[in-house]
Parts: sequence; structure tokens; C-alpha cells
Amino acid sequence: MDLDFSPAERDFRAEVRDWLSANVPDPPLPSMDTAEGFQAHRAWEARLAAARLSVVSWPEEYGGRGVSLIDWLIFEEEYWAAGAPARVTQNGIFLLAPCLLRFGTPGQRARWLPRMASGADVWAQAWSEPEAGSDLAALTSRAEPVPGGGWRLYGHKTWSSRAAHATHGFGLFRTSGARHKGLTYFMFPLDEVAVRPVAQLDGLPGFAELHFDGVRVEESMVLGEAGQGWSIAMATTSSERGLTLRSPGRFLATADRLLALARESGDPAAADRAARCWTEAEAYRLHTYATARRIMAGEAAGAASSLGKIFWSELDLRMHALALELLGERAGETPWLDGFLFALAGPIYAGTNEIQRTIVAERVLGLPR
Amino acid sequence: MNFAFTDEQLALGAAVRDVLRDACPPAALRTERRPGWRGLAELGFFAALLPPEHDGLGLGLTDVLPALEETGRACLPGPVAETAVAAPLLPKAAGGELCVSVVAPGQAYAADADLADLLVVLRPDGARLVQAAELTPRPGIDPCRPLFAVAYDAYEPLEAPAGPVLHRLAVATAAQLVGVAKELLARSVAYARVRTQFGAPIGSFQAVKHRLADVAVAVEFAAPLVWRAALALDAGAPAAGRDASAAKAAAGEAAALAAGSALQVHGAVGYTDELDLRFWLARAWSLGAAYGTSAVHRERVRAALLGGDARRWP
Ligand SMILES: Cc1cc2nc3c(=O)[nH]c(=O)nc-3n(C[C@H](O)[C@H](O)[C@H](O)COP(=O)(O)OP(=O)(O)OC[C@H]3O[C@@H](n4cnc5c(N)ncnc54)[C@H](O)[C@@H]3O)c2cc1C
Repeated sequence: MDLDFSPAERDFRAEVRDWLSANVPDPPLPSMDTAEGFQAHRAWEARLAAARLSVVSWPEEYGGRGVSLIDWLIFEEEYWAAGAPARVTQNGIFLLAPCLLRFGTPGQRARWLPRMASGADVWAQAWSEPEAGSDLAALTSRAEPVPGGGWRLYGHKTWSSRAAHATHGFGLFRTSGARHKGLTYFMFPLDEVAVRPVAQLDGLPGFAELHFDGVRVEESMVLGEAGQGWSIAMATTSSERGLTLRSPGRFLATADRLLALARESGDPAAADRAARCWTEAEAYRLHTYATARRIMAGEAAGAASSLGKIFWSELDLRMHALALELLGERAGETPWLDGFLFALAGPIYAGTNEIQRTIVAERVLGLPR
Repeated sequence: MNFAFTDEQLALGAAVRDVLRDACPPAALRTERRPGWRGLAELGFFAALLPPEHDGLGLGLTDVLPALEETGRACLPGPVAETAVAAPLLPKAAGGELCVSVVAPGQAYAADADLADLLVVLRPDGARLVQAAELTPRPGIDPCRPLFAVAYDAYEPLEAPAGPVLHRLAVATAAQLVGVAKELLARSVAYARVRTQFGAPIGSFQAVKHRLADVAVAVEFAAPLVWRAALALDAGAPAAGRDASAAKAAAGEAAALAAGSALQVHGAVGYTDELDLRFWLARAWSLGAAYGTSAVHRERVRAALLGGDARRWP
């Protein structure tokens, strides 16, 4: 057991740090949930990609550097410490891409991954429906085969992040009645889908509803086989809950800023809570190094990723809530307010924390259903 | 970067587990003061941190973490962490052979002093070795970790400074606490699967499930802090003392949560002397208080971080 970075890992960290310090936009970009901010974030992704820094752990042929998960965690630590922009491509690069890499055909990978890596395409996740939230498998949106090839999509998806401005979506559609085995994983362009933007707590249209009224998609837009959608989707959920979507770097950076705030405040009770958060962010970081090692050795993240999802989402919320308390009426003049609104959603998305606790109890601990 | 135990580190843990499975079953906790100690001594466990030229295994604290965790899982009585951690401080040859109890700064009593051949008294100005002391039993929470007031006339100063010894003891105790917490969780889960009320196993009720899931989260994220602290101490990392405190606090809190949940999940039978659960409950509380309570260690982390030492290691 060791925690030593190799010389190559140190060099990589230094390269990332130098590049970011010369390139991170100042002042920060406008919110990606505005039309202008969305384009600015897309342009930022293109710059990252030009430096081959947008998807470092992917194979080189798709725009990555083929580096290890440990290097990717190093990248993330530097990225968030530098105050770099939120990733407008996140649901594509972190949720769809792992499925494409694992279940996609070579043609699908070559067609979609490089464009995703550069921000040319921005993907939205379309899983939830008005009547299918936690109980995702209850979804009723459906796909019907078109004679001669391809499919038509029907139904209503909702809470799709960034779909108001995105170019493509991916989601599950029913191709037969069987609860899980009747689901198929589709990719689709958003230009023929009726998109209704939905404003979030900050007043900006971070969500969208998607209405499908026979939208035509080619056969090559099916990921895996018809009926395999649920098992492919479950492979993404462990990425979503686990280390890829919310890597430790983000929380380490927040914890450092929170500590500075607590120091300024001179309030000993706040200092106590801030120190605890800082330590917990460290615990998440160390835990993730251990998990990364297991994944690199070929183990699946599996149900254990639910432990992490509970931990990071509740830590993030505690950190932002404390910052807001410390800032009082000045909070709105700082990035902490937006951060707080964002953190509030953590215990809801990627499977609510109630659902995660049930998964931990049943699938990690072995309690009866 | 390979933050996972090596095969050797895991093998020592497995060897300790095997010894304790036979020699320290729960029934032995009611009848023996030091079950399993002979077997562990034969493995070289108590001399693990001594250099080979003093008949030790030449290991670091990190190397014995899985083994220490097993001693917590088995609720092994006696001054286990004390004897292993103090061995390198003692006059050569004594370490690993002699049983050691420790009086920590700020603590008046020595645990398990009745079993000890030697006492190490840690004072801010240094460590002392006491050969003969008068012991007065004091009431305490853990029947297998009795407390004693200590009076002595003579002592020899030890060369080792007290601070690093204390950090190592705190981390070794934290590793035991992780084991105690895991055992409490495992016993809670096992009971919740078989105890039936309202026609269903109580483990099928969501209030029970979610409570035990919270214990699992606490244990899962305390353990890596303990491993990191041991590595930091072995490497002489700059913030190792702060990281030792973070480990002891997190492990103590996880064990306390595991104990509270275990008692609640067991109901009245958990509140009896007849069920073995009581030994692990008591150990969670007694080790939680040893070498600095969680509150004391939280305060140390706070003071370090607020004082400006927010260096991360690695
Ligand atoms: C910021 C944000 C971004 C999102 N982005 C996307 C996206 O891009 N794409 C997408 O498809 N979806 C997205 N979602 C939707 C998200 O996946 C759902 O909100 C989530 O799955 C919960 O579904 P629901 O909102 O319908 O709540 P419900 O399922 O109705 O749950 C409501 C409450 O009941 C509790 N509950 C439900 N069932 C149980 C049970 N069995 N046991 C105990 N408690 C239970 C839940 O935990 C929750 O507290 C996003 C949500 C948020 C907040």
C-alpha cells in the first residue's frame, strides 16, 4: 500500500496545472443554462480538446490520452482547484461515453466520441418521465420499428439537464412490455424533438421536457441490442453515482474555499464544521484512490458506488449550507449561492439518496427486500 | 499510487483472524483475561514493529493495519495496540516479549494495567518507563478493558518523545475501532435478517435499512483516513499528527454510530449482559475514549487547519 505519485504522474499534474493557469477564463463564463453561456462553455470544451485535456482517460483515437484513472483523478483535482468552468459535456462524456465504449459498435464510437470530446455535440440524458422517477423501469415512452429499418420514438421525458440547448439526447424507450427486458437504449438528435425548457430554482432553464411524436431515428442509433437497455443503463448508473460524474477534485476545492471563509469569520463553531467537511472531502479523495485501483484491476464499481453517492452529495450540501450561513446577506454576491442551489439537487439526481440507502442495505449489506 | 493493502499485509491480517477465531471466541471474553495472546505472539505480531535485529518483523504501522482491525473484530482483550506500538520504545529485547500498558497525557488511568509487565507513562515532557506500580481498580464501561489508577515511586526516562508514540497509538486504536464497527454492523445485519415482527424480518423495514446503510457509509469513509494516517506516520509526512487525529475522530465516530445502531436494532436483548453484543458495544465506547476522544481529535484537526496547515498528503 502506498500513496506515492510517480514522476510521470507528477509531470502530468504540472502540465495540467500550467495549462489551466494560462487558460482558465477570467472572469468566469456566464451560466451554461443561458444561450450565451452554453455557447461559451462549448467553446471552452473545444479549447480543452485542442490541448487534449477534455477526456484524458479515453483512448487516443477518440480524443483522449489513454491515461489511467489515477491520472484522471489528478486532472480533476487540478481542474477544480483552478476554478475552471463546469463541464457542459458532462452527461455525454461521463454517462453516455462509458456505455458507448463498452457496448457501442466501432462505427458508433468513431462517429460520436470525438465530437462529444470537443463539444461539437452536447448530449442530454433522457431517462426520467413524469410518472417514472425513482421507479425508472415504470417508464412508458416507446419506440416502434419502421418497416425497412429504423425506429419512431413516442412519449414524454422530463428533467433532462441542459436539453434546452443540447444537440443530442440518449434515453430508454420501451420496445416490448417486459418491465426491464422491454427497454432499449436509444440515441437521438434533438432537432426534431419538441423541447420545452423548464426553469430551475435559479430561474434559468436548466431542465427541459422532451415530447416525442414519432421522431424518426436510424437503426444505428440503438446502443447494444433491443431489450438490452436496462442492463446498459445500469452500467451508466454506477459511473453517475461513483467516481466519474462527481470526482473528489470538486469537493476538495469547495472544502478549501470553505476553510478560508471559516477562518475569516472567526466563528469557532463554524470552524469546527468547516474542518470536519475538509476532512470528509479528504476521506472521499482517499476512498476514490482505493476504488480507482480496484477498477483498474478489473473489478466493477457496482452497488458500492451508492455509498459514495450518499457521501459526496450530503457533504457538498453541508459545505454550501455552512458557507451561506457564514456569508449571510452577502451570499448572493458570491458564487456560493449558485453552488448552494446546485448542491441542493445532489441528494435527488443520479437516484435519490433514499434509493441509494436502500441499495446499500439490500445489495451491499444483504438485508431482505 | 496503489492505495490497497498488499498480499503480505492482508496475509498477516488473515493469520491473526485465524488465530483469534479459535483462541478468542466470544465465550472466552467472559472467562479469560488474555485469550489468543499466545497465538499472536507466536505469529510475531507483538514484535511486528521491532527491527529484525531485535527479533522483530521490521514492519511499519501500515503493514499491521489489517491485523489490528482483526483484533477489533474479535474484541480481543488486553493492551493489544499498546504492546505492539510500545515495543520499539523499550530497552532492546524487552519489546515484543513484555506486555505494556500506557498512561496517556490527560488520562489518569491505565487500561489493562493488571496484565502489564511494564507501564509507559506519556507526559508532555517525555515518556517514562515504570517497572513497579501500585494499581487501584477504577470502574469503567468495558468489562474486558478494566481501568486502574496508577501510583509509582521510580521510573526511567525513555528516549522517545511522547508525541509520535501517541499518534501511533491513536492510529492503531483507530484501526481496531474500524474492526469493532464492522463487527457491530455485521451482527446487526445478521440479527435483522432473522428477527421477525409484524410477520416480516425487521431488516425489511426501511427505517432499519437506512439506519444500517448510514453505518456502512460511516465505516467505509473512516477506514481510508486510518490507512492514510498510518502511511503518513510511517513516511514522517509533515501533517501526520493532524492526519492521525482525523483518523481517530472518524473511526471513533463510526464505531459510536455502529454501536448505537446495533443496540437499537437488537432491541431489549441487546440491552442484556447475556448477548455477546455487549462486548463490542463496550469496546466501541472504551476505545473511542482512549488516546483522545473524537471531540479532542476533532479540535486538534480544527486547530491545525484553521492555524493554516491545510497541506494535503499526498
Ligand atoms: C438537478 C437535477 C438534474 C437532473 N437531471 C436529469 C437528467 O439529465 N436526465 C434525467 O433523466 N433525469 C434527471 N433528473 C431527474 C432525477 O433522475 C429524478 O429526479 C430522480 O430519479 C427522482 O425522481 P422524481 O424526481 O420523480 O422523484 P420521486 O421518485 O417521485 O421521489 C420523490 C421522493 O420520494 C422518495 N421515494 C420514492 N420512492 C421511494 C422508495 N421506494 N423508498 C423511499 N423513498 C422513496 C424519493 O427518495 C424522493 O425523496 C434530474 C434531477 C435533478 C434534481
